[in-house]
Amino acid sequence: MLSRRFFATAVKEVTHVSDVVIVGGGPAGLTMAAAIKSSHILKDLQCTLVESSDMCRSLQDYCDDPPERILNRCVSITPATVEHMKQLAAWKFVRPDRIQNYDYIRTYDGLTNASMDFDSPNLATMIENSNIQSSLYQRILELNSEQPLNQLVLKDNTKVTGITRDSKTNWPIVKLSNGDTIKTRLLIGCDGGRSPVRKFAGIESRGWAYNTWGIVGTLKYKNTGFRSPTGWQRFLPTGPLAQLPLPDSWLSIVWSVPPELAMILMSLSDKSFISILNAASRLSQDELNYLYKIARDEPEKLQDEVNWRLQVFNNKLTADQEEKYPLEVDYIVPKSRGRFPLKLSHADDYVDERIALVGDAAHTTHPLAGQGLNMGQADIQSLVKTLETARERGLDYGTKFALEPYFSTRYPANHVMLGVVDKIHKIYSAKFPPLVWARSLGVNVLNNLPLLKDLIVGQVSHRKMP
Amino acid sequence: MIRRQIYTTHKRLFHFSLKCFNSQTHAIAKPDLTAINPSEKSHFKNLAATWWDETGSQRILHKMNLLRMDFINDVIKSRLSLNEAITDPEQKVFIPGWNFQNILPEEVSHEIQKEIDQATREKCGDLQLKCLDIGCGGGILSESLARLSIVESVKGIDMTPEVIQVAKLHKKLDPLLEDKLSYKVISLEHIDEKEKYDVITMMELLEHVDYPAMIVKEALSHLNPDGYLFISTINRDFVSWFTTIFMGEHVLNIVPVGTHTYGKYIKQRELKEFVDEFQKDYRVVDSKNCGYFPTVGWFFTGIENMGNYMMAIKRKE
Repeated sequence: MLSRRFFATAVKEVTHVSDVVIVGGGPAGLTMAAAIKSSHILKDLQCTLVESSDMCRSLQDYCDDPPERILNRCVSITPATVEHMKQLAAWKFVRPDRIQNYDYIRTYDGLTNASMDFDSPNLATMIENSNIQSSLYQRILELNSEQPLNQLVLKDNTKVTGITRDSKTNWPIVKLSNGDTIKTRLLIGCDGGRSPVRKFAGIESRGWAYNTWGIVGTLKYKNTGFRSPTGWQRFLPTGPLAQLPLPDSWLSIVWSVPPELAMILMSLSDKSFISILNAASRLSQDELNYLYKIARDEPEKLQDEVNWRLQVFNNKLTADQEEKYPLEVDYIVPKSRGRFPLKLSHADDYVDERIALVGDAAHTTHPLAGQGLNMGQADIQSLVKTLETARERGLDYGTKFALEPYFSTRYPANHVMLGVVDKIHKIYSAKFPPLVWARSLGVNVLNNLPLLKDLIVGQVSHRKMP
Repeated sequence: MIRRQIYTTHKRLFHFSLKCFNSQTHAIAKPDLTAINPSEKSHFKNLAATWWDETGSQRILHKMNLLRMDFINDVIKSRLSLNEAITDPEQKVFIPGWNFQNILPEEVSHEIQKEIDQATREKCGDLQLKCLDIGCGGGILSESLARLSIVESVKGIDMTPEVIQVAKLHKKLDPLLEDKLSYKVISLEHIDEKEKYDVITMMELLEHVDYPAMIVKEALSHLNPDGYLFISTINRDFVSWFTTIFMGEHVLNIVPVGTHTYGKYIKQRELKEFVDEFQKDYRVVDSKNCGYFPTVGWFFTGIENMGNYMMAIKRKE
């Protein structure tokens, strides 16, 4: 009896064998799954996606009956990302009434007001994370109905409780909270900045926290006439304040601030928060420092103080100058304010034997250039191409040897992007007057060199994939 | 410990067979003309342990395998008759036969290519190729062939038991290979003449044997109608000596010293002329030259009669 039971547990050790296991059901994980199942060369692979949240139900709910207000987790995606989602036939499931294309980005310096404008048709698109995920989920359901005998297995409400390696073949064995264990040829970590898959592989991730929080929220501009959808970014010494357009005068913000200021801003009432946000998009740094103090010590006085100062400021503006600032905000969706820590990190390697890391699991960046999700999409394109080539060449696509081209293509490109974003952040965090003068001069010169600017626009919107 | 024992036992056997050969017993046992040269054999025996270390001394071979597979795939897939048995002209795939990618607008050429790819995929679904990999070594090519969906089975043969042992061990790491791939220590000459194959490969083999012509002839005789023989070897010229022996072995140490023997290199022209002798039944359908550059890897050079090359010979119907 005892021996039989022992035998039973020994057999039960591995309950499933899969070709590919994807950990994480965020935009990266779902894109990866849809991309594998859309590929002529890879679609017959047995593929499992594991996600800890109640993903399927919430994404179906979003699709059937989306929330009235746009959610606070929004991203800016590049035309290259849109193109990729179109190739995967997922874009047709995006809810078009909840996205906003914009052609203009205006950046201005919080200390000197030196500004740089970028414009290009469809420079970028603002979209909710849920809208991306939901469209990919619908696409996966569609793919599953096309291939009923080899469906992508979605295991949501399921946590990865441990990863080990098979003693004979060295294949990863993923243990799940529902008791299943899956042995897999390839384990793809789309599991975010603190990636358990990366930790299992023992891949070091280097970088630094910016000692900064990003505050997000969904707000609405005061209705004072039409303006073309524009992304605004003011580089304050405390961190950039980005206001990104959503349909119907709605906007999404990402305001990067030091932890102590984040505490103050998060504790304010909705009305006071709107006041200080309007102040931060127009007033000088000295005035802002004073207002932050009031916000901390006497928040009840904040609104009047801001209104008075803004009135003085606005009265001096001509109509032309008014165009150089974003409109005033007058509403915030209750409870839409949230915050998250910002850090730069880059994994030493994206691949190991039977392991691949994608998106935030491989690199995290400051949101100031709106590149995070887009870098992940480019990773996926590269990884899928690598897997396709490996499979056509008859390689065991789980081996590090077969996966290497993915790393060697994406690492340098991501490294440059992370570096540039980091430098922009550092340059604009400086308050040292000669440096401030130099950066403003540089920006003013750059702003008048259309060729060079076009080059930058091409880079940030990924017009040409390398 | 066990491995060491096998090794010494084998060594004794090896000496024993040599002794038999020398003591005039060769009158009874016919000399194996397709066999590998004994000194070459001991060289490969020493490589056995590191054969599958993709980061070690065999990395360049693993890299080369990528190009071989591209060549094999391209030769087979680009020569499928996509419109065979299709009578309705509406159903026929449009194959321009000229360089449409350079001439037509991108959207149009993209659509044409998509249609060709789709038809190729469908046609590939019918293929069930039987393959023989001669001089399979640790099984780098054999495994790759066996993983292809167009391949039904692969038999890998080699004369060095140690490397076959390595190949068999490595095969166990991938369950996909279990039913499709088999290995055997046997010389080509001892394979039953009735055994026929759709694809026979002899990669980096001719430069390690004493009688290459015998082997090529023997291999061709095992081809099914419409079957392919894939050969890859090295031109006997200054560039090959400089890259494979001088730089590869002595300066950069990319491959172990003694891997190559210059005198055994065969010129591309010589091999083609040799096959042309049998042009009633066999035809060289493609031949590509390739080169290696550190940090870049292997690439097709497009320069004929120079350096490494691959050749595809097809048996006519």
